[in-house]
Amino acid sequence: MLLKLSLAGMKGKLKDYFVLLSGLVMTISVFYMFQTLSWNTEFIKSNAMIRNIQLVFIVGSVLLSVVTIMYMLYTNTFLLSLRQKEFGMYMMLGAKKKSIKKIMFVETMVIGAASLVIGITVGIGLAFIVGYLLAGQLNITLEGYQSFYLPAVLATFVFFIVVFLFTALINHIKLSRVQVLQLIYSDVHPDEMPIQKKKNSWLILLGLITLCLGYVSLIFMEQLREIGLFAAPTFTTLGTYLLFIGYLPVIVRRIQANKRWTTKGVTSFTFAQLNFRIQGLTKILATVAMLIALGAGAISAGLAFKNSASQMAEMMNVYDVVIKNPNAEEKAILKSVHFTEENQYRFKEDADYTYYLRDDLDNQRPLLLLSDGKKPKFKRVTEALPKGKISLREVKNPEVGQQLSDEWARALWNLQTNYREIKQTIVLDAETYHKIQGQEMLMYIGKSDKFMDYLHEWQEIDMLVLEKEPNLTADDLTSKYSFYNMYSSFTSGTMFMGLFLGIAFLAMMASCLMFKIVSGASKDTSRYQMLRKIGVRRSQLSTSVYKELFIIFLFPAIIGLTHVLIGMNMFSFIILNPYYRIWVPIIIFLIIYSLYYVITVKLYKQIVLPKE
Amino acid sequence: MKSPVVEVCNVQKVYGKKGGNQFKALNDVSFSMQEGEFVGIMGPSGSGKTTLLNVISTLDQVTSGEIKIDNVDITDMGQDELSDFRSQKLGFIFQDFNLLENMTIAENIALPLYLQGTPAKNVDAKVMTVAKRLGIEELLQKYPAEISGGQKQRSAAARALVHEPTVILGDEPTGALDSKNATSLLETMKDLNDRQNVSIMMVTHDAYSASYCQRIIFIQDGKLHKEIHRSSTRELFYKEILDVLAQLGTKNA
Repeated sequence: MLLKLSLAGMKGKLKDYFVLLSGLVMTISVFYMFQTLSWNTEFIKSNAMIRNIQLVFIVGSVLLSVVTIMYMLYTNTFLLSLRQKEFGMYMMLGAKKKSIKKIMFVETMVIGAASLVIGITVGIGLAFIVGYLLAGQLNITLEGYQSFYLPAVLATFVFFIVVFLFTALINHIKLSRVQVLQLIYSDVHPDEMPIQKKKNSWLILLGLITLCLGYVSLIFMEQLREIGLFAAPTFTTLGTYLLFIGYLPVIVRRIQANKRWTTKGVTSFTFAQLNFRIQGLTKILATVAMLIALGAGAISAGLAFKNSASQMAEMMNVYDVVIKNPNAEEKAILKSVHFTEENQYRFKEDADYTYYLRDDLDNQRPLLLLSDGKKPKFKRVTEALPKGKISLREVKNPEVGQQLSDEWARALWNLQTNYREIKQTIVLDAETYHKIQGQEMLMYIGKSDKFMDYLHEWQEIDMLVLEKEPNLTADDLTSKYSFYNMYSSFTSGTMFMGLFLGIAFLAMMASCLMFKIVSGASKDTSRYQMLRKIGVRRSQLSTSVYKELFIIFLFPAIIGLTHVLIGMNMFSFIILNPYYRIWVPIIIFLIIYSLYYVITVKLYKQIVLPKE
Repeated sequence: MKSPVVEVCNVQKVYGKKGGNQFKALNDVSFSMQEGEFVGIMGPSGSGKTTLLNVISTLDQVTSGEIKIDNVDITDMGQDELSDFRSQKLGFIFQDFNLLENMTIAENIALPLYLQGTPAKNVDAKVMTVAKRLGIEELLQKYPAEISGGQKQRSAAARALVHEPTVILGDEPTGALDSKNATSLLETMKDLNDRQNVSIMMVTHDAYSASYCQRIIFIQDGKLHKEIHRSSTRELFYKEILDVLAQLGTKNA
């Protein structure tokens, strides 16, 4: 009978249960998504460019578990708060505490089981969709990746069953201690006092120190190696939590104390409200900042790996194409490309030598790559070519040879199209050149304005080269594209993991923040109602909500992104420039985050500002 | 000649849909209130007194009829206009104080001024003046959770007064107070009314509180039942009120 009653009670709060369930489902599915990669060691080992990728996943698992447990404890308090009053009433009517506890236990486990089943199903679906979409977008095949992965299912199952049992136990203990009257009046709160903690100077100091340590280990990851891999996440996480707990309330209080900002219209309320709530939000905001750092960091790393392929290619070759005797088909393709520089050099060759015409080289001096290991720089060849009449006999003599300047030697080396037939190059004056027997040929080199825009064209040209010279294989080619292609096939696996995990972490972050704000909203309702009564326009209240939540959303975004910006350093030993186009992932993140912000504001407003 | 601050003309308030189960909470109610009056509205539970206060305070809309406050018809205003009207012309005192627990008493009192865009430098002086008038100047920097119920209600009264509204509306302002605090608050209200000429309208079901008023309007079943004026001492007026209530009671029975 009591069970029936309690089911009826649950029906009445369907909306709250929906919030609760969706929060749980999100957490479980993200956890599962992470596990599909984490347990699939074969896949990550064979696809990662990072030697210690296993360690990255272990650290990630620990972080995710901590965040999940914190989140679950919070949802559990919410679950209990939903039912307290009703349970109090049953007890007043004579229900035994034992049966109430039983109901609560069953309810926790039923909700847990339901969310586990739905969560894993959603997780499998998400893992499949995200995997499929990413593979399609990135043009890669994922060998060994499984969206339904049994070890991951089991791991998720075991982890959450333990967590649910643990939370059920906590509810059990809480209910054992509580009095009937406390339950009945659970939704009547005495006026709360805004906590006026003294400045936690030592907390802030400790937070700063640990955060600095974390940042130092991120920056010097290459030197610290394994130590850094453990120190960076530990110290950064600890520092983030300490700073949020110690410093955030101080900042908000400072803002509130600034009378110039906070005494216009309803802003005085907005900041009072913010100051009031911030104490309870510090931990969740720190968690959100960490999830942002992990999510945006993973996406940035993924994209950085993707970008690094083109950068690596830029570092290898100046010219996008080098073609020996372009034929009609090749010329047609070349026409469709916008080149910033095109040079053609006449040459002849025999079995051992390639003879270049000096005038052509002199008139169209090629570019050279000057690399500082970070960014490609170009320099035009300025050194002199061998002067006067060149004696063929002399330069062919292995004792004497042709003394080309460094720059020219390198420039001529760059005119190779493959590794197979490397011949000695000789520069000749026109007269001597024309005496050489053999057919005159053309070496074409071209540099476009954007290598990445013409990937398809470069690919076709490479294929035509292979058709022309059947004894060559793709591995023999020295073209910029062939290098790019090889490198990006190495990076695609890493990139996939980065984007996959990034999406998972961002989803989790949103769910955390939204749940915390929306589930606490009903307590704020009376305040907004009162303001409405004394004559605050609805639009003003709406602005107040936007402002308040904006500031709440702002802090973790700032800290999270700072973590990302500093954390990207740790990839500098494997990626040329981890910061290359860092704004792309940041903008992607900001768009997603703003979307969450707007949705949260809408949900919150629905609760505190009911329609009139 | 005093001008009316509140004029209620043939007001009806019907709950429920047409053709459905309708309930007339107010049925053709008319009365007016002059500037500087202290009016009480009494009636048994369910008589419609709170509905009446709600429509006068613009929180609820009438089904038909007209309400003028300070010669402005509030029945055909939009929601935003009504909000502005409330913030400028009306002061509220609620039974459960409705102070914002996240703001200090000073900030709570200053809120109506901020909403009207009063410059910050003038706000402090005004808050101080009204706080002194209500004897709560010591509490200004405290939070609602730190002060007693009586002090809270005084703070709420200060908030209702600070922007010098046309009329103060009280919804059972003494309902949550013990007798000592209630008396003290009522004395203060009476004093404000006597000396500062503040117009006050108060809903109450407590005869003792009502005896501080100058005039009491009794309503029953949504209709005006009777109106009595205070002509002599408060004690005699109190007895008179009890008589009317007794009458209402027997009629019910």
